[in-house]
Amino acid sequence: MPSQIVSLVVNGERREFIAAPGVTLLASLRESLGLTAAKRGCAQGACGTCTVLVDGRPEVACLVAVETVAGRSVRTLEGVAAGGELDEVQNAFVDCFATQCGFCTAGMIMVAEALLDRDPDPSEADVVEAISGNVCRCTGYRPIVIAILEAARRRRGAVSR
Amino acid sequence: MVIQAVHVPESAEAAVTYSARGAWIMGGGTVVMPLVNSGAAPATELVSLRRAGLGGVEVRDGVARIGAAATLAAVGEHPGLSFLRPALRTIASPTLRNQATVGGNLFVAQPYGDLAVCLLALDATCEIAGPDGRRDAPVADVLASGVGSGEVVVAVRAALPGPGVWHYHKAMRRRLNSAAIVTVAAVTRTADGVVTFSRIALGGVAPRPVRAVSAERLLRGRPLTHDVLTEAGEAAHGDIDPFDDAYASAWYRARVLPVHLRRALLP
Repeated sequence: MPSQIVSLVVNGERREFIAAPGVTLLASLRESLGLTAAKRGCAQGACGTCTVLVDGRPEVACLVAVETVAGRSVRTLEGVAAGGELDEVQNAFVDCFATQCGFCTAGMIMVAEALLDRDPDPSEADVVEAISGNVCRCTGYRPIVIAILEAARRRRGAVSR
Repeated sequence: MVIQAVHVPESAEAAVTYSARGAWIMGGGTVVMPLVNSGAAPATELVSLRRAGLGGVEVRDGVARIGAAATLAAVGEHPGLSFLRPALRTIASPTLRNQATVGGNLFVAQPYGDLAVCLLALDATCEIAGPDGRRDAPVADVLASGVGSGEVVVAVRAALPGPGVWHYHKAMRRRLNSAAIVTVAAVTRTADGVVTFSRIALGGVAPRPVRAVSAERLLRGRPLTHDVLTEAGEAAHGDIDPFDDAYASAWYRARVLPVHLRRALLP
């Protein structure tokens, strides 16, 4: 089967590109669409740094053959900072020192976005479970958990900056 | 092998056609795609079940029918299958549970496949589509010997366990997102303080999920006490064929099996 034209709705915009058989959603985002926030870490589904939202749910893009999600809606970190303005999760990551080398950050933030979309008031245990598929080798996780809880607080409007 | 085609058929019958031509079946991709990404794909063509209409989860009249392409997340979110939620939460991460499928879980290598262990304990039935039509097979047979050439598991059916008879316990290296050292799933009924029925399935202790038939036999007619369960756990050594891996040694798995069998049934 030759390469085919695949169409996705990426961050709210319909995008079309040519995909070779078996190419991953991750490679399509990075190499065909120039969206490089999602990173290629292990390419085995074990590290979570390529996590994006497919129809609002986190998936590791390295394990998605792009043909299988044709026509669906994909959200990446590039779609989070609307108009160049950081959102509550991103701001909380900055303020809580939840990013060091930055390699895991895009995946962590996308998982957090999905969690807070579903549950505006998650417990600490909920946050820990949500990021359990995302590896961070810098922070020891603690600042990330704190940042996501802080983002939830800010989003609920309970604490003003 | 380099992938030359990924088929995304819109029906089970079309999936069977591709499968019969040698395409490798892919549920959520959590096992097949790592092989593709490392250049070790087992075939040049893949057939994805993502759009084949096999993603449904239904519970009716005490029986669950779960499409092979239903994700583990979809199973866990179904209000009629809440008894499986604690088990599902021990499997991988929430993100991977949005991708991994029920059908795929039947074909992963141990020590993965904890849902398959549950389905074995539930004595589930697999609905299989093939070039010669449809057939049903016990999940035990599918776990033991797979399916025929060109066949595709399209759904799994299981009777729901009544209240208080379902048990699940998984020993792992971390509290979340870790493969099995020992997994125990069981349906056990008691009357007048003694066991009248038990079906116990084990994961992590053999090349595939296995029934602990020796333990089941020993428990019949006896009370679920600490001592009886320890004895049953020792008897279960006759049912296992453990292996070494990065999570635990075969020796360790066998050594701790009685403890975890006891903890599963006597929390």
